[in-house]
Amino acid sequence: MSASSSQALEYLELLPRQTHTKLYEQPATALAVYRCMLPHLAKSIVMAMLYMPHPFSVGALNDWFRPSAKKDKEKSLAVLEQLHIIVLKQDANNQRSYELYPGFQRSLRQALQGSGTHRSFGVPANTPDQDKVSVAFLDEYARRKWENILFYMVGSTVGLQTGSRAENEIGNGTITLLKMGEFIQQAHGRVSITRAGFTFVLQETNAQVWSLLIVYLKHAPDLGMQETEVLSFLFMLGSLELGQDYTTSTLSPTQLQMLEDLSAFGIVYRSSKNASTFYPTRLAVTLTSDAGALASAEPISNALTGSSSTRNSSQQGFIIVETNYRIYAYTSSLLQIAVLSLFTKLTTRFPNLVSGKLTKESITRAVKLGISSQQIISYLNSNAHPQMQKQRPFLPPTVMDQIRLWEYEGERVETSIGYLMKEFHSDAEYRDLANYAESLGVLVWRNDSRKVFFVDRVEQISLYLKKKAQR
Amino acid sequence: MNAIDGTDRRIVADEETPPSLLAVVLDTNPHAWAHLSSTLPLSRAIANLLVFINAHLASGNANEVAVIASHLNKAEWLYPTPKSRLSNRAPNGDIEMNGTHREGGSVPDNPNKYRPFSVIESAILKNVASLMDQTSEKNLKATPTTLIGGALSLALSYIAKSTLLHSPVESMSHENPLAHLADAELRTQRTPLASRILIISVSGDLANQYIPVMNSIFAAQRKRIPIDILKLAGDTVLLQQASDATGGVYMKPERPEGILQYLMMGFLPDATARRSLIMPSAGGVDFRAACFCHRKVVDIGYVCSVCLSIFCEPSLPDNLCMTCGSYLSLRSAQTATPALVQRKKKKKKRATGADSATPGGSTPAGSGTPMHA
Repeated sequence: MSASSSQALEYLELLPRQTHTKLYEQPATALAVYRCMLPHLAKSIVMAMLYMPHPFSVGALNDWFRPSAKKDKEKSLAVLEQLHIIVLKQDANNQRSYELYPGFQRSLRQALQGSGTHRSFGVPANTPDQDKVSVAFLDEYARRKWENILFYMVGSTVGLQTGSRAENEIGNGTITLLKMGEFIQQAHGRVSITRAGFTFVLQETNAQVWSLLIVYLKHAPDLGMQETEVLSFLFMLGSLELGQDYTTSTLSPTQLQMLEDLSAFGIVYRSSKNASTFYPTRLAVTLTSDAGALASAEPISNALTGSSSTRNSSQQGFIIVETNYRIYAYTSSLLQIAVLSLFTKLTTRFPNLVSGKLTKESITRAVKLGISSQQIISYLNSNAHPQMQKQRPFLPPTVMDQIRLWEYEGERVETSIGYLMKEFHSDAEYRDLANYAESLGVLVWRNDSRKVFFVDRVEQISLYLKKKAQR
Repeated sequence: MNAIDGTDRRIVADEETPPSLLAVVLDTNPHAWAHLSSTLPLSRAIANLLVFINAHLASGNANEVAVIASHLNKAEWLYPTPKSRLSNRAPNGDIEMNGTHREGGSVPDNPNKYRPFSVIESAILKNVASLMDQTSEKNLKATPTTLIGGALSLALSYIAKSTLLHSPVESMSHENPLAHLADAELRTQRTPLASRILIISVSGDLANQYIPVMNSIFAAQRKRIPIDILKLAGDTVLLQQASDATGGVYMKPERPEGILQYLMMGFLPDATARRSLIMPSAGGVDFRAACFCHRKVVDIGYVCSVCLSIFCEPSLPDNLCMTCGSYLSLRSAQTATPALVQRKKKKKKRATGADSATPGGSTPAGSGTPMHA
């Protein structure tokens, strides 16, 4: 599970049970959820239970795990329960055991066996397309579309003149979506990027796609679409094959409408608005796999964020940071230069290189714009030049520390939104719950003497409390 | 304070689970499957195996699989299909393996099936069918056992190759202006491939392949590749030792018809998941070895002092070790034994008489301290 799919997981976890049940009716969705949403250990649990003829009793499950892995086990079970994949049941003999939800079980079995007539893995076009497009074309198409979106967001803030060019290309639907997601804000007819927008831009491509799609999902009901239908279509897209054309004749009206929106993002390609086929691009087929998985084949980050003029296959990292805070970036892409200029004082530009310096001024300016030092460091880290990647950590420690210190000068208080749990009746009760919260990984702070603790997520805790009350 | 002065500097840890390569060695010995046909026919076993392989592929985005049939007279690739199959086989019978090559072309598109699954399934089914067609009655009569050693070596060599392919030295492209500056030592990929071998065995008595199998086991041990054994029928000492030595799973299900559940629960968790699970193992492992001369499992044998080869009887031709050729006169060792034992007894008696007490009892204080004082 990578960072990109974890935000999708977060969104998915909050959906109600009805939505989950409906989602799991499609084997493609069940498989996609299994493949990319579940923690590694949870996968083992699901597979062990998939063909088990009887429920998995709690005792047997505990025996299966090493005592040292208790924390991981709790976490996996919590995720599975949250996603409504397994349920804890109590039979007549007071035996507690876990069971898979039958809908999920049936769909996942069908997906693995390839049985059923659900046609959820996409129906390929049966007539050969006379002007079939190549994979390279699709990559180029997706990259151009996506870069335009990013450039639209960044370019306006940096004040690059080419902003107008991008605006024409990205379409009103996308702009509305960016606004709804609060990635950009428009004041006095001028577009400027928000804090969330910076987070968005500095992520890796796969995570960006998911962020945008989650906004899309959240607003799907407003557009008259069903959330489940949108989600299962996205999961289906993730299981398609690159370079294959698929027919649109089996899609529902909602999905047809989505197809139009998605082609504006560059996630699917259609030769015309009324074409009877569509091609998924690399953005689509990597939805349900992390970018790392494709690293061996052709990294999506290369294919998509590589500089526009020279798209060579090993444009992995391009930034060199020296201990004297100087930055050299081997790039000619306007987008990358724009992103860099958000937090760097750029001085020189050559045909294939820009150089500049990280200064206190430039970092504090970035912090004021809403970029955190963590974001800057992770951006520099993930784009570090292969020469930089030879040493560990990639960036000079002094530079990392200094960036943090510059940020901390401005803000000394850290906030995290969550819930304070207090007024426990007994110490045992407090300890039990606090330890449970810790094993879930939601505990932020605790004070044993005052018997209070603070969590950033409360759903699992309240569920746990309810279960305890029933017993 | 730590958060501020940056001392909690985190080196980006790779939390992602490494992709895993599962090499399945399927024992296709027709004799043994004929015995099993009432409970678990081969066709059903393969169907279950395919579901298991799909589950494995679904468990990690970059997971890979390789399937090898260990047949009567040869070990044969089931997946990936060797490029040169049927068309141009090298004169010495070697099969060229040039990594995985895509064989998607002929696979029918099925909207009910995840495409990577169907590609692998159709390849395996086709290759099993052709393997069975090639098996003649002459082959059947020739031997009752299977070439597990050859299949194991194939699996190991494939794993070695994939591991290399998987962590390539990243080469700079020509366009890159830094290409000439970069020295030879380039970054390797951060996530290595975690491989394991699963042997689905039905044949008993593999002692005649003791040496090749043992060599494979040592190779696997060295490369930290666990060998998992699912023993559906028969019983061999050798495979138990394989899983024990390499830290793999050993299971001998009482009801072979439930093969899928055994596979899903016992064999699906990869190296990462196994760190937090308790995996079944062989329990009491029989460590007996097979002799090098007649391939029999022996309790007591003769060992060459140079190369550690094991022989079941002392009569070696020309008193030379059959493996390393050094002089080895086992007959003398055998005849001398009784005499030696007798002499020892005499010595002991003499020793007890002369020294008043056994060495253990006499050394303490009594005699020693006065001399020092």
